[in-house]
Amino acid sequence: MVQAEENKEVLTEQSPIIELRNIDKYFGEHHVLKGISLTVKKGEVVVVIGPSGSGKSTLCRTINRLETIDSGEIIIDGVPMPGEGRKLAQLRAQIGMVFQSFNLFAHKNILDNVIMAPVEVLHMPKQQAKEEALQLLKRVGVESQAAKVPAQLSGGQQQRVAIARALAMHPKAILFDEPTSALDPEMINEVLDVMTELAAEGMTMVVVTHEMNFARRVADRIIFMDDGSILEENTPEEFFEHPKTQRAQDFLNSIKEH
Amino acid sequence: MSTAQVSIKDALYEPPGPKSRKVIGIATVITLTVLTILLALIIRQFYITGQLNARYWSFLGRASTWKFLGKGLLGTLEAAALAGGVTFAAGFCMMMGRISRYKVVRGISTAFIEFTRGVPTLLFIYFFFLVAPQLGWKLSALWKIAAPVAISASGVVAEVLRSGVNAVPKGQREAALSLGMRENTVFFRIIFPQALRYVIPALIAETVIVVKDTTFAYVVNFPDLMQNAKVLISNYDAMLSVYLLVACIYILINYLINKISDLTAGLQNITIGSSRGGGRAGGRYGAGRGE
Amino acid sequence: MSVQELLAEYGDKYVLALLTTWKLTALAFSAAFVIGIVVTVMRVSPVKPLRVAGDFYVQIFRNIPGAALLIVLVYALPYLNVVLSYFTCVLTATALIPAAFCSEYLMAGMNTIALGQIEAARALGMNFSQMIRLIVIPQALRSSVLPMTNLLVATMLTTALASQVPLNPTDLTGIVAHINTHAVGGVTAFLISAVLYCATAVVIGQIGNLIDRKARILR
Repeated sequence: MVQAEENKEVLTEQSPIIELRNIDKYFGEHHVLKGISLTVKKGEVVVVIGPSGSGKSTLCRTINRLETIDSGEIIIDGVPMPGEGRKLAQLRAQIGMVFQSFNLFAHKNILDNVIMAPVEVLHMPKQQAKEEALQLLKRVGVESQAAKVPAQLSGGQQQRVAIARALAMHPKAILFDEPTSALDPEMINEVLDVMTELAAEGMTMVVVTHEMNFARRVADRIIFMDDGSILEENTPEEFFEHPKTQRAQDFLNSIKEH
Repeated sequence: MSTAQVSIKDALYEPPGPKSRKVIGIATVITLTVLTILLALIIRQFYITGQLNARYWSFLGRASTWKFLGKGLLGTLEAAALAGGVTFAAGFCMMMGRISRYKVVRGISTAFIEFTRGVPTLLFIYFFFLVAPQLGWKLSALWKIAAPVAISASGVVAEVLRSGVNAVPKGQREAALSLGMRENTVFFRIIFPQALRYVIPALIAETVIVVKDTTFAYVVNFPDLMQNAKVLISNYDAMLSVYLLVACIYILINYLINKISDLTAGLQNITIGSSRGGGRAGGRYGAGRGE
Repeated sequence: MSVQELLAEYGDKYVLALLTTWKLTALAFSAAFVIGIVVTVMRVSPVKPLRVAGDFYVQIFRNIPGAALLIVLVYALPYLNVVLSYFTCVLTATALIPAAFCSEYLMAGMNTIALGQIEAARALGMNFSQMIRLIVIPQALRSSVLPMTNLLVATMLTTALASQVPLNPTDLTGIVAHINTHAVGGVTAFLISAVLYCATAVVIGQIGNLIDRKARILR
């Protein structure tokens, strides 16, 4: 954490890892993203919160263009991200993604899930990919499961494998799209712990989540979204103690009641 | 999220950008050209062999043709309806035997089901056409086609019904028993009605098998659509056109049956042994064994 | 006639008939599998006319009765100057029809793939062909083992169409018709063929189950 703060001081002059400029998106008539602009610098942990249907998940998926956009620009580490083709795949490979429903490849065992993309997309030698994968699996605490298939693992274990799979690509940033929403309560923390560690090591992260404690503890910056717009952007301390907008206040109150 | 309801067909592709749109556009033009050329070649073949000559197609304009084909169609429907009824009755009995509590009954039923599903309909037809008379069985032409068709479809129907019974939640039986119902009452009043609802789309789809198999009626000289078509051919000397017409009629009938099956499947949430083929455990050939 | 008498007189013919049925089944199934894959690729391609043509193929051949198709091939096509041998006619009919079902089963197999895995593949930077090669085809094939086993048995049953044309040697159904029109074969002649069909079906089913147990994807 402290280390990450220091890094940021040094690197402020660098171009941001992720930059969204004036993103607009419609689902039919519904305007889901309204002129969103966002920059994420190297080593920064940005947590996106907001009521369901606010567009936060769509925003996260937009960053690597799993969602189409109607207008605006997405720039990854200084390179504009096109809407199709080889360049798009290359840029996606630089940004990891962790999904709500894990999305591990059902027909491959855990180790193969982690090495598939490094070998096929990055053309890493298989042996090297294997060694790195085992290291990563160890780091997220599932090395003993390497030979099993996804369906044999608990949700928490699967999600940690998904994180390892993303890390195996040496990504410049990782997107987390509600990574704990599909998990039983007792497994949420094992995933959040891995994410906290990643943040401490200086990984650039965009996290969409409902876990407010995690947001408060780990975020460098909180983005509050409602109705397709970013309403507030602030440090966690400021946001949670002194929300500026009424809607953010209402949102925080509605969560506290639980 | 937005992709939750999309089928795999569309999920394979990302929304096309300008470049892919161009590629798809070119491919579309090429495909259309190739398909048009193919069609033109077929029509040309019809033309140079004289098959487009009006005398081969004029029968389509005569009322008597349609009356005769209609009569044949009635024969097909008669045979299919009789075979369908027998299939359901036999299938039900075989299913009951298959889930019986007595091992011997279960064994016999299983063997019978496997037998009917492993032997081609045509072989059963030859049994009723050639072997049955040797045994002294006197059967009408209608039964000679309906009985083998029914036997060959009954095993499939038994398995479809069984998959429906298995799909009824256990709690239903337990709840009924706890209300003091007897096992038989539970089965006929609680379990089977629900099972039947689950499998109605699959049962409708199975009638496609029955309709297809009745086309062998010519083997036993039963006047169905196919048999009447042969008479038309000798009257009009128009083999190609009549057979193509009849094939189209069969395709249309079966297409409609499948559509009805899909519609009924759409009306209910749970469908077992779906007409779409695929994962049915131990089943044979989805809708239609292609005979 | 007793089994011994029948086998003494027609034993060789039964062997030949069994081999004919097996040969037709193997050839027809292989062809059906290839055609089925081609049709499936057409049906999932992004090119609309290809999709329509693929769907059209499936609707035609899953709904046409085998007898009708065979009759068109044998009796009607010669009027278009297309004359095929009897064997080719039977093979064509017994390949075209299962091909339609093959495509239906492959489509069903593909639909078992969770869409999230496709997104995950994309997010990892895989291109279209990598996604198809590494994720879609392996999963579709593995979950199609049982349907394909059933299709193989169904193809075998369809080859009984061979009995409707003069073939030498004839197939397992044709031989029953042959024996009973030349001699009184009775139930025995029928049962021998029936048992041979069933035995083949059982063996195919067992092998299919074995492969399925190895290939099945846990979900």
